Amino acid sequence: MSGWEIFTWISVIILGFGSIIVFILFLKDVPELLKKSEKEPS
Amino acid sequence: MYSLATIDYIIIVIYLFMMVGVGIWFSKRHSNFDDYFLAGRSLTTPILITTLISTYYGIDVLFGDSQLAFTDGVVAWFGYARPTYAFFLIAAFLLANRLKKEDFRSLPEILDKYYGKKARYIGALASFIYSLPALSLYGFGMLGNVIMGWPPFVGMLILGGIALVYTLTGGFWAVALTDSIQFVMMCVVLAIAVPFAFNIIGGFDTMIEVLPIAYFESMGDLSIWLIIIYASTGLTILVEPTFYQRIFAAKSYKNVRNALVIGIFIWGSYDWVVTILAMAAKAGAIQGIIQANVAPDASLLTIMVVALPAGVLGLFMAGVLSTEMSTLDSYCLVAGGNVAYDFYKPALKPDAGDDELIQKTRWGVGLSWILGFIMAISFDQMLGLWVFMASILISSVLVPILGGLFFPKFHKPLAGQLSAGLGLASTIILNMYIMIQGTFVVAEETYVLHMGSLEIFQEYLMYLTVPISFMGYMLGIIFGKEKRS
Repeated sequence: MSGWEIFTWISVIILGFGSIIVFILFLKDVPELLKKSEKEPS
Repeated sequence: MYSLATIDYIIIVIYLFMMVGVGIWFSKRHSNFDDYFLAGRSLTTPILITTLISTYYGIDVLFGDSQLAFTDGVVAWFGYARPTYAFFLIAAFLLANRLKKEDFRSLPEILDKYYGKKARYIGALASFIYSLPALSLYGFGMLGNVIMGWPPFVGMLILGGIALVYTLTGGFWAVALTDSIQFVMMCVVLAIAVPFAFNIIGGFDTMIEVLPIAYFESMGDLSIWLIIIYASTGLTILVEPTFYQRIFAAKSYKNVRNALVIGIFIWGSYDWVVTILAMAAKAGAIQGIIQANVAPDASLLTIMVVALPAGVLGLFMAGVLSTEMSTLDSYCLVAGGNVAYDFYKPALKPDAGDDELIQKTRWGVGLSWILGFIMAISFDQMLGLWVFMASILISSVLVPILGGLFFPKFHKPLAGQLSAGLGLASTIILNMYIMIQGTFVVAEETYVLHMGSLEIFQEYLMYLTVPISFMGYMLGIIFGKEKRS
């Protein structure tokens, strides 16, 4: 496997799995974020 | 138009309904302007990553990077994409902390603090023009035509209209949450596409054999001047209004810093994958897998239509739509804020309450969308328009903003006014001149003005307008008086 191909697969892993990990962490924060977004009517 | 399977259309429609649904779910009364415009300043690192990445990357990156990679190879990443990462680092370590220390809500407000209201109004105008969604809407027209067979203005109305609806109703909460869904779609579908693309062209080694050697030279045959120009487009990051909005909306400086640093790895990977997919398309064109005369900016979509199975292609198309929706919603909201918070409140109604500010922001969002729509259906050469809009912000606010943040001694109103005003005026005048008097050279994909033996490319104008802005700044420092507190 060439260096270009190795770099490509590393990028695919970072992009694919990295984005899923970030999204999962975002979902964990959602309940807290939604609590902050609940406001009394003005 | 590409022919898609029924399942692909079903997936695209479900995605569109989902975006509207999220926006409407957040359609509620916001108790104050900070809540509507800055999500209550409570964004944590994960959501900052998702909204920063999905906002900053639109189809101009997806198709622009792929176009360059299709014609020139890896230089699209090394020479064009990579220099911008340095600016993300500068933003993370030098800029974000200073911005977060103050209680700003918008980029033009920074100019007000350091130079007074007149500088703010000029900055607001530059930011508003920069944020008009003309390119996004044009892109939606193209995507609607390619994916659904709609006439371009129908694609603009429907696809652009969906993003408008949830932005108007839900404000920054809707923008940030839809951005997060759009982020994971954009990234995952692109990652999934790679093995399919390699499979159809016969593997990575085949790509190396088939493509010219120059495709694997990191700087290609780009001239040093062009490399400098491409690198300097990264300067927009330092005065990018959507970046600033996210910095203001962050829970803390550390959240922003971490988001930008982690984001660099995802940005870099995204750019590299787009580059490789476009090179795979070139290999496919050479092998006759796709038509040899495919337009470079259509190459990515074309290879995906051929390589991806039904269902996965629908996800990919939804991912492409995500890429652009996440950009349009953010810029429209910033433009709305420019109208309400940076002009209406300080100039016309200083005692405007939060409800009124939110209402005026919505008007501003709608106004920016309409103006963007008019521009998208009126201009023939969108590339020329893109260069003009991209340069307007750098040319008018880069010098006074960075001067204000890093040189407190130079907070003289005249410096900010002249710097912003001369930068804005020179950008408008020179760009209009070259677009009227010059000719659009298809091979160079830019407007060119011939003056004797001299050829002036539209992209080079920034090398005039930024120094003009700097000269205005220096004149203001020399002749101006201190700002009265």
